[in-house]
Amino acid sequence: MKESNKVLTKKDITKLGFLSSFLQASFNYERMQAGGFTVAQLPFLKKIYKDDKKGLSEAMKDNLEFINTHPNLVGFLMGLLLSLEEGKEDRNLIKGLKVALFGPLAGIGDAIFWFTILPIVAGISASFAEQGSILGPIIFFSVYLTIFAFRIIWTHLGYNLGVRAIEKIKTSSQTISKAATILGVTVIGGLIASYVHINVLTEVAINAEHSVSLQKDFFDKIFPNILPMAYTLLMFYFLKKKKVSPVVLILGTFIMAIVMSVLGVL
Amino acid sequence: MHDITLVQGISLAIMAIIVGIDFWLEGLFIFRPIIVSTLTGLILGDLQTGLIAGALTELAFAGLTPAGGTQPPNPVLAGVMTVVIAYTTGTDAKTAIGLALPFSFLMQYIILFYYSSFSFFMAKADKYAEEADVKSFIRLNILTTSIVAVTYGVVVFLSTYVAQDAMQLLVKSMPTWLTHGFEIAGGILPAVGFGMLLKVMLKGQYVPYLIVGFLVASFIPFSNLLPVAMVGTAFAIYEYFNSKNKAQLVQKVVVEGDDYSEGI
Repeated sequence: MKESNKVLTKKDITKLGFLSSFLQASFNYERMQAGGFTVAQLPFLKKIYKDDKKGLSEAMKDNLEFINTHPNLVGFLMGLLLSLEEGKEDRNLIKGLKVALFGPLAGIGDAIFWFTILPIVAGISASFAEQGSILGPIIFFSVYLTIFAFRIIWTHLGYNLGVRAIEKIKTSSQTISKAATILGVTVIGGLIASYVHINVLTEVAINAEHSVSLQKDFFDKIFPNILPMAYTLLMFYFLKKKKVSPVVLILGTFIMAIVMSVLGVL
Repeated sequence: MHDITLVQGISLAIMAIIVGIDFWLEGLFIFRPIIVSTLTGLILGDLQTGLIAGALTELAFAGLTPAGGTQPPNPVLAGVMTVVIAYTTGTDAKTAIGLALPFSFLMQYIILFYYSSFSFFMAKADKYAEEADVKSFIRLNILTTSIVAVTYGVVVFLSTYVAQDAMQLLVKSMPTWLTHGFEIAGGILPAVGFGMLLKVMLKGQYVPYLIVGFLVASFIPFSNLLPVAMVGTAFAIYEYFNSKNKAQLVQKVVVEGDDYSEGI
């Protein structure tokens, strides 16, 4: 057994949670978040290694290797790694764990934060703001302030769990991201119906007095919002199957809209 | 039709620096259009335009996420410019989104340029790590963040204060079919974002949830999406316990093997 060599305090770990925000400080395509990942841990690595310049340099070099994970969850990984650094574990173990964990964390983070929470919070707060209510941005900001506070919690969690964390991540990550995806997909279905607007202006003349409005008499009666859904699925098809770039689709949407405007269809 | 004063231009630039840093670090998410547009509206003294433009732009950008290594059109510039264009030219916010997009693309490409060129700093970082030079290492990361921050300030100042006359002239000379076209596009644009979200999330097994969410929002007249979110939460909880039970069952089978002594 190793002797207890704890040098980091609870306060330090809280501070680490805040500093984890610097993850993307020097983001670049070569090492992605490596620079910020190192910076966030530096004050504590320094505390652990004290006068051992060689040890500190080794730790810095390891942390400078390629990493790309999720900013909201990275504190967990940092806490975990620092608990190992503090225990002066084998460098290869520390490095190996980092490489093994950053990918799954990025996956969970993207599924939860970008694909689930953002559309939900954006949709709900936008529905307030749309009516001119300041409640919209206030709700949005409060939610993200809370999410930010969770960085501190993840960091403590990672530090306290240490190596035992790995098994936990493996067993529950799939269940959680699956449940999150279901919530996200349901909300996106609602967002499509509420926020994609396509209104057909064309009217088909039946005789001199009567005409049928395609939108009011046809689409709205048969299935409201069927056009928004159809157009969204078309975009989905182009993105997924045809690998069309979103920028092309945005520009294509504009050209289509302008042509339809000239023709008086939309 | 309004003019942007120098003070407002500078205030917008300062705001852009702050939210630009937030965008770079993905911290408090004050870089999202719903916040940026509201702040822009506040600075211009037209909160209502800011809120409405913020709602529209936020949704248009809801699916354009940087997840999975792609860099989407910039939400900060979209948020600022939609309000600024609606305010200075008197156009509808829906139309203004379309006119703001070129600025959003411009900033996207600047950021992409930084992502590539900041690679050159990594050699320096390696050197500082070798020497365990903590101070220089920190300074390097502050430098990169500052470059991004200053860029946001300059780009927003130029696009808002300096370019406003040109912008007004451009919008005034636009024919109705074009502005109407932009308005239509603004309404359809969220489809691209949602398409991108579906690209990462939608698998065959999730299609029923998409349909239910769509049906709930289409047929329940309610002012916001809370009912849809609640239905989604119910599904998510159901799925969570379902797969947890399944996992436990699998574990049990593995542990107990072929022991049917309990009469199962």
